[in-house]
Amino acid sequence: MTYLDHNATTPIRPEVLDAMLPWLRDGYGNPNSVYSLGQKARAAVERARESVASLIGAADQSEIIFTSGGTESDVFAISGAAWQARAEKNGRGTVLATRIEHDAVRGQLSELRHRGFDIGEAPCSPDGVVAVDALRASIDERTIVVSVMHANNETGVLQPVAEIAALARARGALMHTDAVQSLGKVAVDVKALGVDMLSLSGHKLNAPKGVGALYVRRGVRLSPVLTGHQEKERRGGTENVASIAALGVACELALRELKSSAAHALVLRRRLEAGVLKISDARLNGHPERRLPNTSNFVFSGVDGHHLVVALDLEGFCVSSGPACSSGASLASHVLTAMGIDPGLAAGSLRISVGWGTTEADIDRFLKCLPVAIGRLRSVASVA
Amino acid sequence: MRILAAMSGGVDSSVAAAILKERGEDVVGVTMKLLPRAATGFGCCGSPADVDDAKRVCEALGIPHYVADMSERFEQKVIKPYVAAYLDGTTPNPCVECNRSVKFGHLLHLAEAWGCGKVATGHYARIIDGRLSTSIDVRKDQTYFLYTLTAKELAKAEFPVGALTKDEVRARARTLRLRTADKPESMETCFVPERDVRGFVASRSESAGAATLMPGPIESTDGRVIGEHSGLASYTVGQRKGLGVTSPDPLYVVRMKPETNTLVVGDENDVMASSLVAGSVTWTAGVPASSVRAQVRVRHRHSPASAGLSLNADGTVLVRFDAPQRAPAPGQAAVFYDGSFVLGGGTIMRGAIQ
Repeated sequence: MTYLDHNATTPIRPEVLDAMLPWLRDGYGNPNSVYSLGQKARAAVERARESVASLIGAADQSEIIFTSGGTESDVFAISGAAWQARAEKNGRGTVLATRIEHDAVRGQLSELRHRGFDIGEAPCSPDGVVAVDALRASIDERTIVVSVMHANNETGVLQPVAEIAALARARGALMHTDAVQSLGKVAVDVKALGVDMLSLSGHKLNAPKGVGALYVRRGVRLSPVLTGHQEKERRGGTENVASIAALGVACELALRELKSSAAHALVLRRRLEAGVLKISDARLNGHPERRLPNTSNFVFSGVDGHHLVVALDLEGFCVSSGPACSSGASLASHVLTAMGIDPGLAAGSLRISVGWGTTEADIDRFLKCLPVAIGRLRSVASVA
Repeated sequence: MRILAAMSGGVDSSVAAAILKERGEDVVGVTMKLLPRAATGFGCCGSPADVDDAKRVCEALGIPHYVADMSERFEQKVIKPYVAAYLDGTTPNPCVECNRSVKFGHLLHLAEAWGCGKVATGHYARIIDGRLSTSIDVRKDQTYFLYTLTAKELAKAEFPVGALTKDEVRARARTLRLRTADKPESMETCFVPERDVRGFVASRSESAGAATLMPGPIESTDGRVIGEHSGLASYTVGQRKGLGVTSPDPLYVVRMKPETNTLVVGDENDVMASSLVAGSVTWTAGVPASSVRAQVRVRHRHSPASAGLSLNADGTVLVRFDAPQRAPAPGQAAVFYDGSFVLGGGTIMRGAIQ
């Protein structure tokens, strides 16, 4: 099996697994307990907090709140800001985002819309970059929070977060970014980005599923989603010690290896794209340069993306298509349609994302197989 | 060989996949999603619960499983013609259409695209020397719904449970501890909720006041109006119950006259037919000489009746039964057999039943 879907999830690195196992064996203490078994667990959690803080350039480790993952972090940031504004009755009632956000954000936007908040979603350019001008025009003194993802999960296109953050903060609005997909692939620095909140997830970073964090700049107040005394009363629930320890080590590795892993990914991506674009009627989606080094998104005319993913799985390759794969429906991706790609064509998209452990030989094997699979699907589509 | 096993989430297709797996084939499971998401609340092919069952059976068998969305095709090729047939005052046979256009039409293409040489289903039928043949379990035989398969399609089809009885299939599933072993069988039209054909047709009809949904007269065979019907789409030729007309002798639906929105009823003799004409004919085993002897089924589970078939110049077939048969219904299939072999079949045409 060849795994080329690192934007979906990543393998757990052995160092990371080693770091979590002690907390699943003898170190089972509750980090909130008084006795030394608990103290050891607490120390592990706080060490991990430091590692996360230093990977993203947070001023203080207290700005890191551990969560169950990217979705919870996004929901916490956006709804936490929205409900806090309503509680403070500060006259702000608008939440702004973009049309290319992850479903974790989109779902919360629709929830908040039902609860009476005004929601705005900025468009993007044909190469998948969010339109800063549209946001400039809509951010005003009623804006509570602006949420713009750092890199798009489907296309890998990097977004002008720093520029938008400056606009938001100039008008007293909070700025949130979902950096789940970019962390570990490009430099992510909360000060350089100028954001108030940043979401990250463990399983996109070679740590396990079910753990993530939200950076909340000191001084920003959020209404809690999960109430409880843990995480300085900001997020209830006993800390997931083993996974938090794993996330910490994954962040240390990411920080240490960022340059080399990004360079490696870029070599693979270029090799992949050069090969794939030799296929007739293949097209690369998204900005050619402003992109994560590991992500490529293609459309192939006359090919159903879901059926292509199955065909490739049967040949031993893990890749993904549109957002609704498991249901069997090849829905056009909301990201690609926002970029103006025809929905029929967008339903034939294929995302390939390389990562830790991917080799040139993997890419070459894939490039041998892909044209055959596409050829078969096209010949069948023409008679069906 | 890599074989694509169509898995509905029921016991028959589960065992079909298991048999192929035991034979050492490279089996790939697929569940077709036939209905749009909003409509899948009632346990039909591709409803979430059935997909889960199929997935878990595949996992237990150690084979991959995928879902293929064919709802658009199902809508165009099965549901729309079904509604149109009722609006036209005939009784459609959606399972025939589904097998023709979806299961063996489209799924075979998909199998090819996925590198599979064959498609297997849980149908009770056999393929003997490349010819479609009835299953061992005569009560379960489903060849009535499969007569449209061409020789080319049969060459790429497998019906692994056709050589078993239903009881044997269930026993096999229990031995294998498949979760679908005791799952009840679905008998209704899979996309019609609560067996409410009239309600479904009404909900799908583009004109709310479609004639066959409106009440109209019930006439006796001699032309007397003896009651009112609730819309022709609620009735099938041969139907006895639910006519709402009292009579000393049992009354049956004899025919429908959509042009005047009239339901004609009569006694048992009036529904007996000595001949019929079938159109849209498929000769699955090759076109025979201009006339041929055969046994003919006019409905699922109808015991095949001896008849002479004459091929008309326009491709239709005149079926003359040796002894009159009860209530062939326009829109249903007439399927021709030579013993256990299927010769072909067609759709019973309106106005040509005598």
